[in-house]
Formats: sequence, structure tokens, C-alpha cells
Amino acid sequence: MESISRRELLKRTVVMAAGSSLLLNRPITAWANEKEATAKVVLIRNQNLFAGGASPDPAICGQMLDEALCNLTGKKNAREAWASIVKPTDVVGIKTNAWNGLPTPPELDEILKTRVQSAGVKEENVSIDDRGVKTNPVFQRSTALINIRPMRTHAWAGVGTLLKNYIMFAEKPSDYHDDSCASLAELHDLPAVKGKTRLYVLVLFTPQFHHLTASTFYEEFSWKYNGLAIGFDPVAIDSVGLRIIEAKRKDYFKEERPLNPPAKHIALADTRYHMGTSDPAKIELVKIGWDEGSFV
Amino acid sequence: MQNVYLSVFFLCCSCLPAFTHAQKINLMTSLPEQYKSYEATDRLDYEGEALYDYINGGAELYISYGLKGMTGCKYNGENLPQVTVEVYEMTTSENAFGVYTQSRDKEEYDYGQGSQSYDDFILFWKDKYFVIITTQKSTPESRDAVRYMAELTDAAITGKGEIPAIIRELPSEGLAPGGFLYFHHYIWLNAYIFIADYNIVDINDQTDAVLAKYGPADARCYLLMVEYPRAEAAEAAGMKLKEKFAPELTPDNRIIRLEDNTWFTMKVKENKLCAIFNGDTREQVESLYISILK
Repeated sequence: MESISRRELLKRTVVMAAGSSLLLNRPITAWANEKEATAKVVLIRNQNLFAGGASPDPAICGQMLDEALCNLTGKKNAREAWASIVKPTDVVGIKTNAWNGLPTPPELDEILKTRVQSAGVKEENVSIDDRGVKTNPVFQRSTALINIRPMRTHAWAGVGTLLKNYIMFAEKPSDYHDDSCASLAELHDLPAVKGKTRLYVLVLFTPQFHHLTASTFYEEFSWKYNGLAIGFDPVAIDSVGLRIIEAKRKDYFKEERPLNPPAKHIALADTRYHMGTSDPAKIELVKIGWDEGSFV
Repeated sequence: MQNVYLSVFFLCCSCLPAFTHAQKINLMTSLPEQYKSYEATDRLDYEGEALYDYINGGAELYISYGLKGMTGCKYNGENLPQVTVEVYEMTTSENAFGVYTQSRDKEEYDYGQGSQSYDDFILFWKDKYFVIITTQKSTPESRDAVRYMAELTDAAITGKGEIPAIIRELPSEGLAPGGFLYFHHYIWLNAYIFIADYNIVDINDQTDAVLAKYGPADARCYLLMVEYPRAEAAEAAGMKLKEKFAPELTPDNRIIRLEDNTWFTMKVKENKLCAIFNGDTREQVESLYISILK
């Protein structure tokens, strides 16, 4: 089912015997389809990430990424784990997010580039870009992509997600704005990206859980979560990120305060586009490290 | 207290000199080239959907309220955090007010016809304009510049806007301070509580809608009021809501208890549809229902 009302959710909640308030903050659960597929998402957090100041500690960033990837891939060490992601012959585009208010931390972009090169990819075959991806020569001849971005609330999509991060590959991004960006999953079928993504990294260092206007980052509405969520299924990773954002909103506002508008594109990526799973019951969530205030 | 609040709200919205004509301000000349150690470095000027170039999908918020254009300026200085002035011109003052209600977490009147001031930003609406002045980082210099730009912009907009008439129909008793949102795009239906992810009450450009919070945070109920161009449209939307949301409603059973033990009711009155969601008690919903009928 693609459209749903509060009442329909309430009725399903009774049937499912789930916690109603949680479910209503997370209608995504009730939209999920019946397929058996599961997805693994590794959520890693480090309490000391910002111990050195306002910027994340690059060494800790690297450790987090390596440890999470080892867990995700089942490899014994980081070298093997990265080697399972890219081959020396690959041309790799690292699709970052340059939004002025909350960009992908440059420390993470650089670590990704270093790790890709350490797997044997030549320096000239790796590039980090956001708004220039359509004209970037490395992206144009890319054989592999890594999708990395921070999560934040968004004035039209509900939240800015890994699913949304490919909008810069579209000829006309506004073509994907209808119905609060319901069709963002279609971006992943564009020829420039289809089948190329090897890894998704959702940055949850300082997520923004609320906003007042569309163009501004609000430090007041962000917090140091110190986390990274990685995996191979962007729908599953985004749905984990969404749960964290929604739980933080409830914790902050002390009342139900749904995203406005709802982040329906995540659920629809599952139910309409069958791109992955958004159902928490079908996501294997592995948590590593600092657990206090994890919200999931 | 809530009565006092709503009275103050309407008073503040009407205490500025009245203008009967639309006023176009030219911020390119109103905003200074320099302020203390700050210099204007980037002039902003976008019309309609060109705003996508500036804030991509975020522009849809303003477009959904009839955006005409945005002008503004970025100010920079050596070792100073950037200060940005954005003035969004909407088609009507009602729409400027609507955008403001989207952005509002508290209610103040320091600037324009309603404002919010924080350490690192000021928002206000006035006439057909919604104004945002922000800084990347709050410092004594940037806070001073933000305040100065707010005063300057406020003074440059000499017109006065009208708030939507439907706002005056909200019962004042129990209304949460700053707790209402005016809109006419269904996307904003879920601002306070998840109601539906589709257009369950036929909201469009021709309708005025307001969503309002009543009662304390731990016993919150929500009133949705939609005004349609014709009574027939209200009746059709009411039928749709009843069918989709509460088919068991009858004239003898007009307030019902839902599966989560909250109370719900709805009413079509002439060209308006009213619905009350998430009532903590039957009495709370009954009381609000009676207020709407007055």
C-alpha cells in the first residue's frame, strides 16, 4: 500500500500488537512489503570523536570506517575489507554532499579516497564531487561509486538521505520534487549510477533533527551523535537514520512531532520501487561502540 | 492566558500603518555595501523556480506558498562569520504569514508583524515578505550585524499584510502559543501529527487550511480547519475524510474513540471542514467541537 492515513496505521498497529506511539512516529514500518530479503546495517559510534575540538578526529573517523566495513563485509582486516569493495581497475566516484550548512565532513571524504587508493585504485581514477558530478571526467567514466552524506531534516523531502544524494546526477533535479520527493529512488536507475554503487555511508556525526527554514543549518537543532551507518542497502540505512532523527525529535519536543513533510520517499523506495527494505524487522542492525543515546 | 495570547497576536498584526497597495522593495539598494567590517560580497536575486539554483528542493517550501522571488545579500569580513539576508516575496501577505508559521517555534514581535530571534538568526514576516537573516556562527560582531540587517529590512518594508481570515476563526481557549500553521498545500497536513501521506481532505491552491494545537503538550489535540471555495467542495471533502478515517461516525455517535484510545470528531459547516484529532478525553474534544460551532 502506498498511501496511508493515521487511522489505517492505528488499525494495523492493533493487528501487529506493536507500540502505537512508536509506530505512528514511524509509519514506514507499516508500509513495508512482504518480501523476505533482509539488509545489514552497521551503526558505529565513538564518544571521543569530537574530543579534540569542533572538527571530528580524522584518526577516529578512519578507525570507525574500517571497523564498520570489516563487520559489514565479514573480512578480517581493513585491507581485505576495502579490497572487497573496489578493484585496482575501478574508476571511483565518491559522491559527497556539499550543502553549506552540513556538508559531508572533508575528513571522511579524504579517508574514503585514501582507502580506495590503498585498495590499488590509481589516484587519477578517484574523485570526490557533488554538484559537478555530471561533468566530472572521473564520474563520467566511473565503474564504481561510493555514496556518502550526512542526514538532516529537509523542507520538502522530510530528510536528506542517501537516496536523495544522487539528485545531482539528474538533468533536472526538480523533476524529482513532486509529492514531497516521492520518486527519489528512480535516481538510482539513471545510467550514470545504475548498478555502480559499492558502498553507502550515512554520516550521523552531527545530524540536524529539525529546521525552521529551508536554507539554513541550525546548530541548535543538531547534536553530537558521533555515528556512521554503513551498508549496501540505502533504503535500510536511510530508514535506520530516520528512526534516529524521529526518536531525537520526540526526545527534544516531548511530544509527537512528525517530520514535516513525512519522509515518504524512503518507504516508497521499498514498496513502490523494491530497491531495498525499510522494515526494521527485516534489517539486521549491528551496533558497535558507544551506545548511550543511540535511539535504536 | 491563551485568550490573552491570541488578542496580543491580532493586536500586533494590526498595529502597523496600513497600506492598501502592494509594495515592491528594492533590496539591492536598501541593503548596504558595507556595515562596520562586513562587506556585501554576493547579491542574491532569484525569481520563482530559479530558487532551485540556490536551495534546490528546499525551494518547494516557498513555491508551495506562491513564491514570486527572493532577493538578499551575503556579507563577509576578515575573520568574521558570514551573515546572509534573504527576503522572500510571496504572492500575498497571507502566504508570507503562512511561510512564517512554518518556521515558527515561538511568537515574538520584535520585527515586522511577527518574529523569532535566536542567537544566530532572526526571522520575521511583514506585508508580502518573509525575511531570514542568519550567520554561520554567533559572535558579538555577527549578532550585531544580524540585528542591524533585521532593523534595516524591517524599515525598508513599509507595507502591512493581512493575516488569513481563517486564523480568526480558531477558538482561542486552549490554543497553544504559536501553535498554528496556515497552508494550502496538502504536504503540510502532517506538520504536528501524522494524519495522512496523501491529500485526504482535498487541500489545494483554492483552499485555506489551518492546523492548530490545543491543550498542554502531554494532552495535545489538533484541530484541522479547511475553508473551501464552495460548500459542495467542503461536503465532498468531509465525505472523503469520513469514509477514509472514521466511517463509524453518525449523527448520534459524532465523537469516537480510536484504536490508540484518542478521540476524534469532524464537522462540515457551510464551506468549512473541521476535524479534531488525538483528543485526550471525550470532554476535551466535545469542548473544542462546541467552540467551533459558535
